Amino acid sequence: MLNKASTPAEKIVKVLGYIFMAVCLIVALFPIVWVIMSSFKSNKEIMANGLALPTSFAFTGYQEALKIAPILKFFGNSVIITCCSTCINVLSLAMAGYIFAKKRFRGREVLYAILSISLMIPMTSVLHPVYLIINKLGLYDTKAALVLVYSALSMPMSLMILRSTFEGIPTSLEEAAYVDGAGFVRTFFQIMLPCAKGGLASAAVLAFLDGWNEFTFALLLTSSDKARTLPLALSYFSSQFSFNYTAMFAAITIAVIPSIVLFAIFQEQVVSSMTAGSVKG
Amino acid sequence: MKHNKIWIPIFLAPACILFLLVFALPLVLVFVTSLFEYKLMPNTFSFTGLSNYVKLFTQDPNFLPILKNTLVWILIHCTLHVVLGTALAFVLYKKPFGWKVVRTGYMIPNIISQSAIAMIFLNLYNASFGAVNSVLKSIGLEHLCHNWLFDNNTAFPAVTMIWLLFAGYTTTLVLAQLLSVDESIIEAARVDGASSLQIDFMIMFPLVRKMIGTTVIMAAAYMLQLFSMIYITTGGGPGVSTTNLPLYLYTTMKNRYDYGYANAIGVVIIAIGAVCMVAIRKLFRMNEEDY
Repeated sequence: MLNKASTPAEKIVKVLGYIFMAVCLIVALFPIVWVIMSSFKSNKEIMANGLALPTSFAFTGYQEALKIAPILKFFGNSVIITCCSTCINVLSLAMAGYIFAKKRFRGREVLYAILSISLMIPMTSVLHPVYLIINKLGLYDTKAALVLVYSALSMPMSLMILRSTFEGIPTSLEEAAYVDGAGFVRTFFQIMLPCAKGGLASAAVLAFLDGWNEFTFALLLTSSDKARTLPLALSYFSSQFSFNYTAMFAAITIAVIPSIVLFAIFQEQVVSSMTAGSVKG
Repeated sequence: MKHNKIWIPIFLAPACILFLLVFALPLVLVFVTSLFEYKLMPNTFSFTGLSNYVKLFTQDPNFLPILKNTLVWILIHCTLHVVLGTALAFVLYKKPFGWKVVRTGYMIPNIISQSAIAMIFLNLYNASFGAVNSVLKSIGLEHLCHNWLFDNNTAFPAVTMIWLLFAGYTTTLVLAQLLSVDESIIEAARVDGASSLQIDFMIMFPLVRKMIGTTVIMAAAYMLQLFSMIYITTGGGPGVSTTNLPLYLYTTMKNRYDYGYANAIGVVIIAIGAVCMVAIRKLFRMNEEDY
């Protein structure tokens, strides 16, 4: 209401703001739109003019892409691995977060500080030790290896989010459960966990995205199709795709669309988890 | 409530096991083995003190250029990238027409996997049908066309552009913080006659200072985790012109089987991360209270 009375300078700022917004949006979306558009063009059309719109709307590229590379198999691996790691991550850190939030014991703060160190370590620095440990455990080239590593990846964020979630739940609720005769485990699973839904969802979204998009450890710890994940599929088969650009663009589109759809649906959740994770950090 | 005491360690155990296997033990191993001559071919494992580090900094012709690449990328990312994202957040928090669409759309490149982004840019930069050269041709600047990712002169900036402009995380975080500022503060400033530019710079900016600091730390950490986008596009070349420390660690380990040396690089990565974190926290006075 007050900004009706804006000065010429402020009007210019406003117009510049709109231009800036438009440029950012175009920069962010152009590469993806270009890839999706190209996936409907024939090889000839792609080579003739990289910017032209497709002349027909054919899905042959998608059929060929699925034939050339076992994308669906990799997709399945990704779903299994990421779902398992997300569940393990959220459950184990919910248990720990609950203890840190509600129980007093000797060394509590020290242990919490030690666990928080994980936030400081760039995971690329420990590629070799992790590889060594996975090998020693006999897990090389198994889905379990990636489940284990991905469960730990977003550990610091999950711990911070879940600890503060449980701190926000009144202790009286817990005491009431004890008075009613519920044991420790039942109190946690039937009373505390349902109250922590918001924090659990935030942690789960972050853990899922971390695992779903991870590339480095997937590359390092797998050697066959039985455990490879979707992020590897594209680069791994890029040689098979050479000279069939339509299929390659289709494959990229297949890999990208699920994340975009998930984000569109869970947008508010993603934004609030990111904020929750970073404020505590 | 005596039974409590038994359950505390049981509830902590899963998280501690994860921490031990993926963080603590690797961290110890990386520090210890960096002091050893530890190779697969020929198979050796003997204590050599700091000689891996001495070799890194004085004898390895690749290391210093690669270190420089890494530091330059951290610096660019912590400044340009964060400024871009923050600027957009300051435009969006006034809720101009379409602000939600821009917020969502700008986030999309950050939500899809880095390897997909890398594949997309590999094609965008393609010499024959890539969009970059196609645009140049269509506006008559054919002489500016390059094989962007594989030309010595353009590889570094071309790779940098793959992540530089996509500051969706920064925008989203700073925007969330800006939107949580109490409206009455802004109204009070308006009543006192402050222009919207003055409000942005004198009131809002100091209020979101810590969040911007957080995004700078995240930007530095992101550059130290950077791997797939280089591995897939240039593979670090030509020469080592687009190699960073994580990629160098990976090739040292996978191609040369020189594990002690690779882990010395790992320690350097950890050290850079720690220094960045402390420096940025100081710069943005993140330990101090606002009020």
